[in-house]
Amino acid sequence: MTGDLQRTATGAPGGQLSRISLVLSGGAIALVAGALVPTYLAGDFVLRLGSEGLLLGMLALSVAFMMNQAGLVALGAASIYGGAGYLFAIGMSDGGLTPAVALCVGFLVIVAYAAVLGALIVRTNPLAFMMLTLAAGEMISHAVLLEGLRDYTGGADGLVVRMNGSILGIDVAEFADPARFWSLAWIVTVLVGLAFWSLGRSRLGAILRAVRENEERMRFSGFNTFVPRLVAYVLVNAVAAIAGFLHVLNAGFVSPESLGLSVSTNALVAALMGGIAGSLGPILGGLIFSFAQDEFGARGLTQLLTGVAIVLFIVVFPRGVVGGVSSALRRFGSRREMS
Amino acid sequence: MPPRDASRQKSAAVIALLIANSLALASLLIMLSSGLALIYGLRDVINFGHGAIYMLGAYIGYTIALVGGFWLALFLVPILLALLGIVFEYLALRPLQRRTHIEVALVTLGLGIILGQIIIFFYGGEARSVDAPKILSGSITVLNLSYPVYRLFLIVMGLGSCALLALWLRCTPSGLYVRAVSQDPSVARMMGINADRLSLLVTSLSTAFAGIAGVLAGPYLSIDPGMDITMIVNCLIIVVIGGTGSIGGAIVAALLFGLVQVAGSVFLPNLASLVPYILLMIVLLIAPGGIGRGRVLS
Repeated sequence: MTGDLQRTATGAPGGQLSRISLVLSGGAIALVAGALVPTYLAGDFVLRLGSEGLLLGMLALSVAFMMNQAGLVALGAASIYGGAGYLFAIGMSDGGLTPAVALCVGFLVIVAYAAVLGALIVRTNPLAFMMLTLAAGEMISHAVLLEGLRDYTGGADGLVVRMNGSILGIDVAEFADPARFWSLAWIVTVLVGLAFWSLGRSRLGAILRAVRENEERMRFSGFNTFVPRLVAYVLVNAVAAIAGFLHVLNAGFVSPESLGLSVSTNALVAALMGGIAGSLGPILGGLIFSFAQDEFGARGLTQLLTGVAIVLFIVVFPRGVVGGVSSALRRFGSRREMS
Repeated sequence: MPPRDASRQKSAAVIALLIANSLALASLLIMLSSGLALIYGLRDVINFGHGAIYMLGAYIGYTIALVGGFWLALFLVPILLALLGIVFEYLALRPLQRRTHIEVALVTLGLGIILGQIIIFFYGGEARSVDAPKILSGSITVLNLSYPVYRLFLIVMGLGSCALLALWLRCTPSGLYVRAVSQDPSVARMMGINADRLSLLVTSLSTAFAGIAGVLAGPYLSIDPGMDITMIVNCLIIVVIGGTGSIGGAIVAALLFGLVQVAGSVFLPNLASLVPYILLMIVLLIAPGGIGRGRVLS
């Protein structure tokens, strides 16, 4: 799939080393500064909104990576995000596990689920993939509401998580503190962003993009076109699961709404809004979405604006905020050079 | 009568009811998913907003039925929605012809969300129901079995629209052109077929069918704000099972889906809502491309 949506920064071969070090050092500064500075400047409410935005940005990163590198649009991010929360909650409440064990078990279950589902659906064409991820997401949200699982999932009421114990020496109750949670969410988000950025540059990214352009030719050239896409699918779902775990640690409860289609479309909008090429766009998109939702959501307009944003950003601004700004800067720069 | 005979008769009755119920559900699904498959055949686009169009049909049908009765709704809604289809074709599908199929699909998803929200804005969040007209309410007795007339009417409408669709595709020049374009768009264009004009016809036909399905759903299912997503997910499952773009496949898949859904709610009431997905996974495991082979009723 080609077009403006898919513009990957490949970088000139000569400047690659300096560019990598630039990104890494920029990332390191952003990591430390972003984790600490806002906790002194902003109030709890803003920090909470910001943390939500970061989690949404992480989901958007996973959606954008799949769109940009593999040309596949996943509409099922919510099922992984909410599913991770449910698994953690069930592990803590019914399984009586310690938080660290509950996280590990939940993570393994999600990776296994993503691997099985991925093996079934990454072989299909991109449109079918989009339909199937939507269907799989709906399947999970129906499963949670099943009457027979009500004792475990709490049905439509959701579950309050029994929070005690500690993870890596941090008491679980501390995740509810807005400032600390912001720092944690920020660090994880930046690391995930850097990981996706380097994955895009790796051999895996190159193969994914080649398969996206012409799957048949890659197969004829002796490449395995199935495994790379499956690996990418499992990876992006692992990231969505991390976002889900962070969310449940912070909120302390899970509800069926976290599995709804609207969470998936919000992630999609965040990705499109920021721009799907690169890691900066989706994170920024998540933050913008979160603050915009606070502004307009109270009037019940969130869903409507989500729909409008999907149409607007695909039709008018296919490269999102980051893509648009960077191309405007480049145009400005080249004009200055000419004069 | 010996007890053995009685139980056999009873199980025969259960099977007959099961088949009739699944046919009634499948009728709605056929109207919607064949519309999806038609647009896909011509434009290579899956309309993710189809569920919202069906919901619009149901709500407008509800309003018209309140004022002028069910039959007027069944007559007017398809016409209104065909007009909407023309608008959709001119404002969305044509300007985006040069974009990738995924981008167009995402735009239809966005438009569907917008349409759904507008409907909820006007009608509010509570569920509505439409009464069937007098002729179709109540039940009749066929072979010692009493069955709701409205469901028989649904079956007749569903199978009738299937037959009309097949006749149109097989026996008319425009049907031939539709099949030609979906088989090979570039060759068909070289032979002088105007794909844009066909697409106008097919899109308005598809939205009109969605409207009929919406009106028919009124007395059968409830009219509520979640109906668009439920229905589009069902239709997407059917389109994937049927082999994307194959109308014959979609019809077979809709029948299969109806049977599995109804049988699931009878025999596995605890897992009923998951049964369609299990069917989907099994089909994907056996035949990743779906069960249908041709693109459009070849």
